Amino acid sequence: MEVLLLFVMIVGLLLIGVPIAVSLGLSSIIFLLAFSDTSIGSVAASLYQAMAGHYTLLAIPFFVLASSFMSTGGVAKRIIRFAIACVGHLQGGLAIAGVLACMMFAALSGSSPATVVAIGSIVIAAMRQAGYTKEFAAGVICNAGTLGILIPPSIVMVVYASATDVSVGRMFLAGVIPGILAGAMLMVTIWIMARIKNMPKGDWQGWGEIWLSFRGALWGLFLIVIIMGGIYGHPWVRFDGGSLIYWKGGAFTPTEAAAVAAVYAFFIATYVYRDMGPLAGKDGAAPLSLLQRPQAIITGFFHEDTRRTLFEGGKLTITLMFIIANALILKHVLTDEQIPQHIAGAMLDAGLGPITFLIVVNVILLIGGQFMEPSGLIVIVAPLVFPIALQLGIDPIHLGIIMVVNMEIGMITPPVGLNLFVTSGVANMTMMAVVRAALPFLGVLFVFLIIVTYVPIISTWLPNSVMGPEIIIK
Amino acid sequence: MSAGWRYVPKTPLARFVHGFEENAIALMLGAMTLLTFINVVRRYLFNASLIWSLEVTLILFSWLVLFGIAYGFKVTAHLGVDAITNMVSRPARRTMGLLSAAICIAYAVLILKGSWDYWAPFADLPPTTGRWFPTGFDWTARGTSYFETDQIPMPGFLRFLEDLINYGDSYAKLPRMVPYIMLPVAAALILFRIVQATIRIIRGEQDSLIVSHEAEDAVEEAAALNRD
Repeated sequence: MEVLLLFVMIVGLLLIGVPIAVSLGLSSIIFLLAFSDTSIGSVAASLYQAMAGHYTLLAIPFFVLASSFMSTGGVAKRIIRFAIACVGHLQGGLAIAGVLACMMFAALSGSSPATVVAIGSIVIAAMRQAGYTKEFAAGVICNAGTLGILIPPSIVMVVYASATDVSVGRMFLAGVIPGILAGAMLMVTIWIMARIKNMPKGDWQGWGEIWLSFRGALWGLFLIVIIMGGIYGHPWVRFDGGSLIYWKGGAFTPTEAAAVAAVYAFFIATYVYRDMGPLAGKDGAAPLSLLQRPQAIITGFFHEDTRRTLFEGGKLTITLMFIIANALILKHVLTDEQIPQHIAGAMLDAGLGPITFLIVVNVILLIGGQFMEPSGLIVIVAPLVFPIALQLGIDPIHLGIIMVVNMEIGMITPPVGLNLFVTSGVANMTMMAVVRAALPFLGVLFVFLIIVTYVPIISTWLPNSVMGPEIIIK
Repeated sequence: MSAGWRYVPKTPLARFVHGFEENAIALMLGAMTLLTFINVVRRYLFNASLIWSLEVTLILFSWLVLFGIAYGFKVTAHLGVDAITNMVSRPARRTMGLLSAAICIAYAVLILKGSWDYWAPFADLPPTTGRWFPTGFDWTARGTSYFETDQIPMPGFLRFLEDLINYGDSYAKLPRMVPYIMLPVAAALILFRIVQATIRIIRGEQDSLIVSHEAEDAVEEAAALNRD
């Protein structure tokens, strides 16, 4: 009963415009002080330990930073060029290329809004010039941008892994096939719509352009190789006898892989692409070579652009972690009150099977996604549904992917979908116009959600074949 | 869509503080990244690692976020739901803004008390009494200033702490009061920034404490490309 009051209070505070983090934190503190013997001092301690005690969450600032460096550099432009070279000649090619570019950028960044801003700001303008309607362009990017949290690396997956103690590496692998499937479904839908409505197609620019544009985008795309190779293993050399080149398995933790990715992204943006930092060409001039300005090897670390990017990454980390830290206090309340066990008991007594349970999870997340930032919602909902899922024999990795796909749909469902806001800003359209534009593709993602929910092998096959079968810990 | 208000430092002191805050955030994130990166490189090349590196990184992570929360209130960067507040009339919006500001102040006061209570024993200072709000100091509480961090070496310039709070006993490792000090400092800063924001709401210079999504700045720049 008191718990119901707790949730009513949280939603009430959210609706009058209290920051999400404060709504979660204050409601939980009041509950703890009124109904338990926890002291306010230990709440403050858990706020501190939310960061200092969660090694897995440390990956978040690093992935955010890698993504910031990749967004400031002209990586998005190069990826879009490569995508257009590959599929631009199909009917509706530019729209299909937009989806492909979103998929590739999602593999460099862990967040959906970042993907929409980076790809959308270029592709929407280009599509309008090529003769597409603005609505169609916005609808495509708004939906394809949600792949940012499904295709690894993904901040939401890091949060899920941290909240339920499953492996981040497994979650990342599990997102690969569903991510490609969702992208493919969107692309096929666009192609069919383009055939029916006779949308423009671009020119086939030849294999030379594909190779050239691929070489341009390669440095950026290599980031995903570093992350995946670091986590799952990569070839390496040794000099202590035995074969010189050998397979070094799983050398980094995901957190370390994220830090290496961030440093790599800085290096590529500053010294290879030179879109930012001391070697960047001013006002459209060609970038300088390192030989012309050798001191850049030092000044690059302290350049205004570097400082700005570090600061932007830090600011985003702060707003996300403020919510997550307070959501962790709420999680503490819920586990203290044994709410997950009560709900599990009630659901099992009601004779709930796995299928009805998954529908309930879908509904909870779709509603919750209306109010909450995705990572905060995962921190709260994951511990509630995780024990039930285990009892019903649902694979924890599969559950994680279902939750992520639900978050994706929540991002483009009115009235408060995150991607709708971002797209309406980027495309300079009203919210209602974006909602209408996104609607046909929202249908595609719903079909995708049903497929992912009831065909677990799509999510579990890759992680199980690379890392061995999941050992479920109860 | 947003609060319609952007923080611009006006006086030289405000500019200095603003720059300091932004630089501190950038520096802490940069240091965390480099420390973790260097540790990976050291393990690959020399099969060795800095034993204190991970603990320092995690402390920096905590400092970055705690310190940054106050900055977030200053520039109105924290996320919230503005679906309702955007629908209602202006006076109603103002009332809701004031109400949510009061709620944030209550939160900050509670966190400040909690932070002090948690940190004080580590610095051999008295925590406050009272369950909800401080009613006085608890002078009978036992100090725990002898608690040290797990791995971080004791830097020489902090040796004065041994006489000050540890009754002359020397520290082998950095005492815990040092990393934890960010809790009361940040909590006080958060309270201060929320009070400032509340005053701006009272004066009508801004009407809420929230933004609706994380990319609002970036979106504004991108929107310029798609203007009709």
